[in-house]
Amino acid sequence: MRVNPNYTPSILADLGQTETQEQTYTEQLATGLRVNMPSDDPAAAAADVQNQALQSQTDQYLQNTSNLDGLMQTADSALSSVITSLNQAISLGVQGGNSDLTTANQQELAEQVQTIQSQIVQLANTSYQGSYIFGGTATQSAPYTLDSTQPDGVLYNGNSGVNNVEVAPGTNLQTNLPGSQVFQGAGGSIMGALQQLVTALQSGNTTSIGTATTQVGTALSYVSQQRVFYDSGISQLNSNQSYLQQEQVNLQTQETTLVGADMAAAATGLSHAQTQQSATLAALAQIIPQSLLNYLK
Amino acid sequence: MGSLSSSMWIAAQALDVDQGALDATSNNIANQNTPGYSREIPVLTEGAPTVEGDVTYGGGVVLQQVQSVTDQLLQIQFADQNQQQSSAQTQYNALQQVQELFSNPTSGIGADFTSFFNSLSQLSTDPTSIPDRQAVLTSAQNLATSFNSTEESLDSIQSGLNQSVSQNVTQINSLTAQIAQINGQVGQMQKLGEDPGNLGDQETALIQQLSQLTNVNQIQTENGLTLTTGNGTPLVVGDQSFALTTTAGPNGMTDVSSQGQDITSTLQGGELGGNLQVRDTVIPGLLSQLDNLASQFSTSVNAAQAMGYDLNGNAGQPLFSDTSGPGAASNLTVAITDPNLIAASSDGTQGSNGNVANLLAVQNQALPGGEDPLDTYSSLVSQTGNLTDQAQAEVTASTASLNNLNNQLGSISGVNLDEETTNLMNYQRAYEAAARVVTTVDALTQSVLDMGSGVTAAP
Repeated sequence: MRVNPNYTPSILADLGQTETQEQTYTEQLATGLRVNMPSDDPAAAAADVQNQALQSQTDQYLQNTSNLDGLMQTADSALSSVITSLNQAISLGVQGGNSDLTTANQQELAEQVQTIQSQIVQLANTSYQGSYIFGGTATQSAPYTLDSTQPDGVLYNGNSGVNNVEVAPGTNLQTNLPGSQVFQGAGGSIMGALQQLVTALQSGNTTSIGTATTQVGTALSYVSQQRVFYDSGISQLNSNQSYLQQEQVNLQTQETTLVGADMAAAATGLSHAQTQQSATLAALAQIIPQSLLNYLK
Repeated sequence: MGSLSSSMWIAAQALDVDQGALDATSNNIANQNTPGYSREIPVLTEGAPTVEGDVTYGGGVVLQQVQSVTDQLLQIQFADQNQQQSSAQTQYNALQQVQELFSNPTSGIGADFTSFFNSLSQLSTDPTSIPDRQAVLTSAQNLATSFNSTEESLDSIQSGLNQSVSQNVTQINSLTAQIAQINGQVGQMQKLGEDPGNLGDQETALIQQLSQLTNVNQIQTENGLTLTTGNGTPLVVGDQSFALTTTAGPNGMTDVSSQGQDITSTLQGGELGGNLQVRDTVIPGLLSQLDNLASQFSTSVNAAQAMGYDLNGNAGQPLFSDTSGPGAASNLTVAITDPNLIAASSDGTQGSNGNVANLLAVQNQALPGGEDPLDTYSSLVSQTGNLTDQAQAEVTASTASLNNLNNQLGSISGVNLDEETTNLMNYQRAYEAAARVVTTVDALTQSVLDMGSGVTAAP
């Protein structure tokens, strides 16, 4: 059988193929990626787009979590100060209920309660990063101003709006309670109770001082209940953070599985391709000089 | 009865024939590396015998012809594989540029979609923050820029292919003109029963070059070959070639016509077919998906904007310019520059983030196209990947089969130096022997001439 005497083109094509393999493996080793171009694995490349998006989203959720944590810690510590102030007001009320007190003493106590009242107004006007946190969604102006013409002694400028923020895929967290609910709630209005205590102390009527003090107590237990909202929010954020960090690790693992190179396989493949190439070159070097002409004298 | 003169004549003819055979061998050796060359073999036959009485005398040797050894069928298969390989390679080269645009998972449209929604998510934690609002505008701007540059890059790849189309047509015309010239002569020779030899090789080589440019049908007629495009548009008939012409089409793309008829959509195979396939089918497909994505995405975001209120308490204005139809992706721009105009609020109060949820919902809602924005984009990634992968597989397959055919052709037509050297020695020996016959007969003739002169012939 006659064979193609000009075999060099096909050997060169084989060499070209081996070189392509070497390039592929070297690129995998250099980048650590199996998929460097969509054509390397179209399905994995498309899945990688989703994976990268999820990783970046998870980073953002973590960022949201940390932002909200700051907000809720601020609100929580404000409410903790409110509770301290209310305890002071209660002890002032108890003192005021003592029938031995002079009117002047009672007036003095009334002034002290008024100080507490304005302290609480200040706490109700707490802001976080330039936004008032107890004004509902009206965050750009102070929610409370002292106003003795009002029944509760204060004017609420806020609204009853609440905000929700997504902190994990599909998980929304309410981030605020409006001041009208915290400080003037139906279950125990702090502002109303304090104003009544002031009025009662000023009037010197021990019965109404007693009633008002009880009301401040009711308001205290009510605001403690409200504080649970922030406490549980903070603990939810903490567990959310651990969840998101775990999710990040999962997504990175997924990414490696999707597009990461099998380094051992790439290294072995490279060495195979190299061996094959040297063998082909050696064979070529052996064959090319062979010709009948060598043996003719 | 045999005679000295007939012996001399046979020997002289043998010398001629051996010289001819040596010529053919020498020509083979000379052309062993010439592309497209088919080895030639001297076809030797016996001369017409002479019959005298009961004796038949041999008539020496005759060099009937020097024949080119080739296989027409293999050549046609080779041309067919050639056009497939060349078309696949051209598509692969163009698609590599296309997939490059969709290859980076951490930048480009996909990553910018996520950044845009992340900036909105960030804004939801502090809806009055001006830096956060500015970040939304910036990421929207980045997204628009990515859409613009991706579409513009696709456009520029397309117009590059368009230029190649014109060049291909010029090359085809030049080749068909050369082929027609040779084809006329080859046809003449074939009519006379002659072997076209080297001329045939030249024509075959030119047809192979033509096959790299487009799919060519070959029909053997009594006036040589008739070459047509895949769908039958004539390129070469006899010694006449039919030039293709290019005209500017309505969409700015070059159309190819033959004798006034637009044949662009019927051209397949070869570089020209590959260029047309990517230019007219692949890229327009991607462009229209990109345009739909840009237009549907901006419409959805604008609709969500309109549901809320900006920081000034006014109803939300469109965030993106209204864009649709061809060029939507390259025309996508951010319509507002004032960060206060992001409609984060659902009730008109500044601190409300209620409408951010509506804006964020665009991320996971199916667009009219059927998938959410990122899924639509990632399907573009897998499409370009698949197209490139297919083209690559086709290149590998057709190259292997081309190599195989080349080996088959080489085994028939290739010049083997060992074989030629052996032939060279055979013809050399034959020539030497024939020359010896001439000297021997010459000596005998001398003896005959000396017979009557009393001089004895030299021993």
